[in-house]
Amino acid sequence: MTPILYMIRKEFLQVFRTREMMAILFVAPLVQVLVMGFAITNEVKHITLIIADQDNSVLSREITDAFTHTDRFNVVGYERDMARVGEAIHAWQAQMALVIPPGFGRDIRRGSRPQLQVIVDGLDGNSAGVALGYAGAILQERARQVGRQMPAALSLRNLHRVELQERMWYNLNLNNAQYMVPGIVVVLLTVISLILASIGLVREKEIGTLEQLLVTPLKKYQLLLGKLIPFLILSFIELGIVLKAAQWIFAIEMQGSYLLLAGLSAIYLFSTLGLGIFVSTITGSQQQAMFVSWFFMLLMIMLSGLFIPIENMPPLLQKVTYLNPMRYFMSIIRDIFQKGAAARHLLQDVIPLAGFGLLIFIFSVLKFQKRAA
Amino acid sequence: MNSQPVSVQTEGLTRRFGKFTAVDRVSITVNQGEIFGFLGANGAGKTTMIRMLCGLLKPSEGKGSVAGFDVYRQSEEIKKHIGYMSQKFSLYDDLTITENIEFYGGIYGLSREAIRHRREQLLEQTGLQDASRKMTRDLPLGFKQRLALGCALLHDPPVIFLDEPTSGVDPEARRSFWDLIYQTADNGKTVFVTTHFMDEAEYCHRVSIMRAGQLIALDTPGNLKKQYQQRSMQEVFVALVEAG
Repeated sequence: MTPILYMIRKEFLQVFRTREMMAILFVAPLVQVLVMGFAITNEVKHITLIIADQDNSVLSREITDAFTHTDRFNVVGYERDMARVGEAIHAWQAQMALVIPPGFGRDIRRGSRPQLQVIVDGLDGNSAGVALGYAGAILQERARQVGRQMPAALSLRNLHRVELQERMWYNLNLNNAQYMVPGIVVVLLTVISLILASIGLVREKEIGTLEQLLVTPLKKYQLLLGKLIPFLILSFIELGIVLKAAQWIFAIEMQGSYLLLAGLSAIYLFSTLGLGIFVSTITGSQQQAMFVSWFFMLLMIMLSGLFIPIENMPPLLQKVTYLNPMRYFMSIIRDIFQKGAAARHLLQDVIPLAGFGLLIFIFSVLKFQKRAA
Repeated sequence: MNSQPVSVQTEGLTRRFGKFTAVDRVSITVNQGEIFGFLGANGAGKTTMIRMLCGLLKPSEGKGSVAGFDVYRQSEEIKKHIGYMSQKFSLYDDLTITENIEFYGGIYGLSREAIRHRREQLLEQTGLQDASRKMTRDLPLGFKQRLALGCALLHDPPVIFLDEPTSGVDPEARRSFWDLIYQTADNGKTVFVTTHFMDEAEYCHRVSIMRAGQLIALDTPGNLKKQYQQRSMQEVFVALVEAG
């Protein structure tokens, strides 16, 4: 046991002495969680809107006001000429145009069904859809109010309409950070542990100390444990700091058990540390290790369901995500955070996570032993 | 010298990598306390030979023993009884001198007291007492090299392998490093050294020369010079290697 302790001591000495390492470990993750937490959002806000009110009636002005008084839309201009409206969208000045045709208010009062036009820049299809949804909601709300003010005969058909009363479960306020930030924590944990392990091992290879260690009586398992235990501890400290900071800054609620989260994180770290060992066996320098690590991380992040919901991926890619340990941990951390899931709810993710962790770890350790021989 | 016990012995030791034979039936006997030089151009098989003797690489064929332990079955025992120092010096630049010594002492399984004792000894030997808290990276190359040798000798091994230990060091530091090698051999340790400096070959008790995996000469520098009628080892080496 003692040689392992000497390895561990050496590893900590080196980490805490290297200023770059301290920055990577403790400053970078905080900055990242801040930046990513605020910037990465599925919410669509401040859609630039141009209004073409060709009607200029009381009703059309009411509609215009409704669009002005929400932070979903930013009214960037009023225009009557349709050619200019098209130009504004083409020149990126507006993402959406609302066109109220002449006689719109009059036709409504007469009880006929006039139309108005909403033009959306569909380049970013997702945002366009969301924007259209917002516009529809605002217009419907207006329509309901108009209906109430109207004579009973005219609004009769509205009375039979089914009304949706929405109530969200788990994330009552639809706080976007509540969903995104735990995912970002997973990414940071992955980055740190993978990079620590791959760089840490490759560095010894690069400067020749690995060879030196291999001619000592130090066993290979002692060498690996001596390296990995400090990385495991550091990854945990990392996880704690980032989680606490994220909760404090983004007011995220933790519904589940920290102990459970810690335990499952340890299982997840088997995959990432194992992958780190693997990377170190196929690379010869820290730069190469960094490069290969990033390749793996990018794939893992893209196929984790963090940015792109897995259900939205093509069927083939969906199948590929089952090979991605991060996919399982992503789902686990969200379940624990949002739903306060207990271990028994998570089994369908925990079992493959543990399976992959063990597989990757054993494979990498064997490869390391062979390589280093 | 033949009265000394045998320290390293091989018989027909061979290592192949696929179809390529890196070391081809090499037989040597090195006695305790001997400084045994290993010469050869790059790729001649010196490093493969050393790696097999250190237990880093399993031979394909032949016999070999180091400090009385078999290279096939007892590589773990061999590791406890050898020291190894490569051209890279293998110290941690971002640890202090003391930390390096303590680390290697701990890895070799030395007790706390033993480490402290050896540390004081080594610091005195290398004249680094006052610099013990200095970062290793700040040391001049010559000192680093002596420190690395000291670390490789912390556990008092009977055999030490030096793989081009003096490359990149200035002549004066090389000279004083060889004084250290002589001291080590005088203490009864076997020194196995590879080098490509021919003047250093002259310092060895016996020299072996490898070419394309095969041992083509093995004798004292004096005998080799006589045999090939050359004035220096440099000329012997050139004559031998070019003859191939």
